[in-house]
Amino acid sequence: MSLEEPEPSTQLDVGVSEDGLNYDQIEALLGDSVIGRESHVNAEGFVIRPDDVQAVLSTLKTEAGFDFCSCVTAQEYQDRYESIYHLKKYDDPTQEVSVVVPSPRDDPHNQTAQPVYETAAWHEREAYDLVGIDYEEHPDLRRILLPETWQGHPLSLDYNQEKPQIVTLREHANPLQDDKRSPDDPDTMFVNIGPHHPATHGVLHVKTTLDGEQIADIEPDIGYLHRCEEQMCQQGTYRHQIMPYPDRWDYVSAGILNEWAYARAAEDLADIEVPEYAQVIRTMSAELCRIASHALAMGTFALDVFGDFTAVFQYAFRDREVVQSILEDLTGQRLMFNYLRLGGVAWDLPEPREEFFEKVRDMLDELPGKLEEYHDLVTGNEIFQMRCVDTGVLTPEKAKEFGCTGPVARGSGVDYDLRRDDPYGYYDELDWNVVTEDGCDNFSRVLVRLRELEESARIIEQCIDLLEEWPEDDREIQANVPRTLRPDPDREIYRAVEGAKGELGIYIRSDGTDKPARFKIRSPCFSNLHSLATMSEGEYVPDMIASLGSLDIVLGEVDR
Amino acid sequence: MQSQTPLPDFIAGLLDAIPGVSGDAQLTFIVAAILAGAIVGSLMLTQTALVIWAKRKITAAFTDRIAINRVGPAGLLIIPADALRLLSKELIVPEGVDRPAWDLAPLVLAASALFGFAVIPMGSLLGINFQVADPETGLAYVFATASMASIGLVMAGYASNNKYSFLGGLRAVAQNLAYEIPLILTGMSVVLFAGTLQTSGIVAAQSETLINLGGLAIPSWYAFVNPFAFVLFLIANLAEVGRNPFDIPEAPTEIVAGYQTEYSSVYFVLMYLGEFIHIFLGGAIIATIFLGGPAGPVLPGLIWFLIKIWGVFLFTQWARSAVPRVRIDQLIEIGWKGMLVLSFANLLLTAVIVGVIV
Repeated sequence: MSLEEPEPSTQLDVGVSEDGLNYDQIEALLGDSVIGRESHVNAEGFVIRPDDVQAVLSTLKTEAGFDFCSCVTAQEYQDRYESIYHLKKYDDPTQEVSVVVPSPRDDPHNQTAQPVYETAAWHEREAYDLVGIDYEEHPDLRRILLPETWQGHPLSLDYNQEKPQIVTLREHANPLQDDKRSPDDPDTMFVNIGPHHPATHGVLHVKTTLDGEQIADIEPDIGYLHRCEEQMCQQGTYRHQIMPYPDRWDYVSAGILNEWAYARAAEDLADIEVPEYAQVIRTMSAELCRIASHALAMGTFALDVFGDFTAVFQYAFRDREVVQSILEDLTGQRLMFNYLRLGGVAWDLPEPREEFFEKVRDMLDELPGKLEEYHDLVTGNEIFQMRCVDTGVLTPEKAKEFGCTGPVARGSGVDYDLRRDDPYGYYDELDWNVVTEDGCDNFSRVLVRLRELEESARIIEQCIDLLEEWPEDDREIQANVPRTLRPDPDREIYRAVEGAKGELGIYIRSDGTDKPARFKIRSPCFSNLHSLATMSEGEYVPDMIASLGSLDIVLGEVDR
Repeated sequence: MQSQTPLPDFIAGLLDAIPGVSGDAQLTFIVAAILAGAIVGSLMLTQTALVIWAKRKITAAFTDRIAINRVGPAGLLIIPADALRLLSKELIVPEGVDRPAWDLAPLVLAASALFGFAVIPMGSLLGINFQVADPETGLAYVFATASMASIGLVMAGYASNNKYSFLGGLRAVAQNLAYEIPLILTGMSVVLFAGTLQTSGIVAAQSETLINLGGLAIPSWYAFVNPFAFVLFLIANLAEVGRNPFDIPEAPTEIVAGYQTEYSSVYFVLMYLGEFIHIFLGGAIIATIFLGGPAGPVLPGLIWFLIKIWGVFLFTQWARSAVPRVRIDQLIEIGWKGMLVLSFANLLLTAVIVGVIV
């Protein structure tokens, strides 16, 4: 069920036909704005002029129904800069279109997309920060990941990597310097919440302006955990060297989900078919990761609302430990699984298989009882409801505007789940449901996660049944993949999977070598965190903390 | 009831008995009073030292953990180890703190709670009655000294020159104001029953048998006589001592540690100590006015009294482990719109019962 008003569909389906999108009709809709066409693996790309960005995007949004700006990729070529807007539809994410905006090397500029898609504001700030494209009319074009005093743009071609970028403390902007108090309301107070604070789930710095105890204005300041993941992936070979990195994005037990994002993008880029048996194992292990990840999310959210390392937090860890030990049996690791390979998985299920199946089944059998306990202890608690119902409200419209995905979007009634809407792995063969809640508040987001635990358990159970029955001579875990993978030059792809926190997308451009020319990560936490300011404006500090907890961000993925 | 001689008189008697010491009666009494205060104070401080260990063990039991078990038997040596660790830490004085106030706040906090124990009848052990003084205004005195903690909180919060401390201090004062009135009003309903403010009188009034259940005499403890008031008092007391769901003044996930953010080393120990003595004082008040004070079978009075205090402590730890924290505006609303009204209703009801029936 969705909260959205039934939209007049007649206007919004330009180009939609029985067998996929008709890009010619969309091109006709855009008219003269289109100065060229590019063919990406996932979608067609329309090349437009830098001054036409807002006009083209708003036409696509209002007339062709592309209401989801999934990602903005920026890159530098030898002769030009380029921004790519990856657009999708929340109703059907398989309908994609890319808007490619080239701009000259000597003056990289580009009209901002922020008035059309709010989420573009942060993505463009990142593109400006790392690549150096100037987004004109952007309301707030500052660095986002790197310190404000950083020199140069690290992903641009002429960036001198040898030269250390020393940022002295004296040069660094003083957060107290600009006076946030407005002249007609001098009673506000500026507080730095984080980067060292008990409740920011890692190194997040929230610049908060308080009016009494209520939030007058907040601004998340990220980048403390930026580790150049995109750059590192660009320096690794497709076949083996990139796969360990995804584990380090969302590092709280979502490892295999992240690995799948890279695996899916690279396999589609290089046309690798994954054996069915490996797909079932992937599906099972990914859902195990989702359970571990959601259990942790619930525990830390309770930590924020209950206020201490209380029973709920410890119970969540206790129950997560069971899943964690299954994953350890499967992958040999507890944190950085590194289990998927291009074209399959690293190895088959651990022997003896019966023991492994029994362990998983035990976990599945115990899960309903544990969930009941959580519902008794957490969601059924009246004080908890008092705290969480109707706080941190994120309307479905706002959720789409900010590009929210995952449990955050589903808690706002946006029925969007890539496992069902853009099927991969073995998901479309299995019987499970997408969970949505209409409350749009902190409580709904917690409920969504708890109910998704049940659905994940259902998926795992079916996978286990399949794996148990699988004939022994047909257990192919790895497709035939060349030792050195060199995808054809100039293929571009944007592919996403449903990570623990939402749509985790990867954009790869190949240049004929064994390393990607551009590797861009679309992190769900990044976009979700962008909505924090809207959710918590006018609310109390504790509610802001709770909203932050309900977003379930992992800074490793936000900052990459 | 055993001898009702207050502890200082008892000690003065002992001092007089020592040859060569007796003489100046005034001096003897002063020395005896100081000694008595030291004994009762040390008794409570020993309890809080035990808390260092017990708190971890209790919380661990609630949250499915083991907690300390390596330092000494069952981890008990953690008490001297922690004391040594905390006392040997550097005292960091942040720049720009408001010096005398910042230094005094921990003292005020710890002292205000300790003062209250002066009039609490803790029962007797080996014929010695552990009560420093027994004035006619006993209960009023306890509440008055306990309220002094608010001054300490606001001093700590305001003088720390830290925004989190400031918020914590303000929250603490708002909370204490909202909950002290219901607390005292509910306490007054007991006074209506007992007809006296004197703590020993209140305890004595609870010694009669309320009802006989098959040979088991249920004493007329006010927790049994008026359970409604007991529950009200228990809740208000949770807010008063700042434990979940009312631990808003220090709310670690929101305002770091509230008013104690900037305190370290010995000052932190004093704050921490003050906090726990406050919980014990809350327990002592509850034991005195609702649970029959030191009354109980077999064991000596003092032991029973300590058991009751620890029972209340256990309750606060349980709440801390299992109940979410309310928001500051909700807390104020519960205090002023809920608790206050209920405690007035309780007071009126008690007055009617006492006036008409008894």
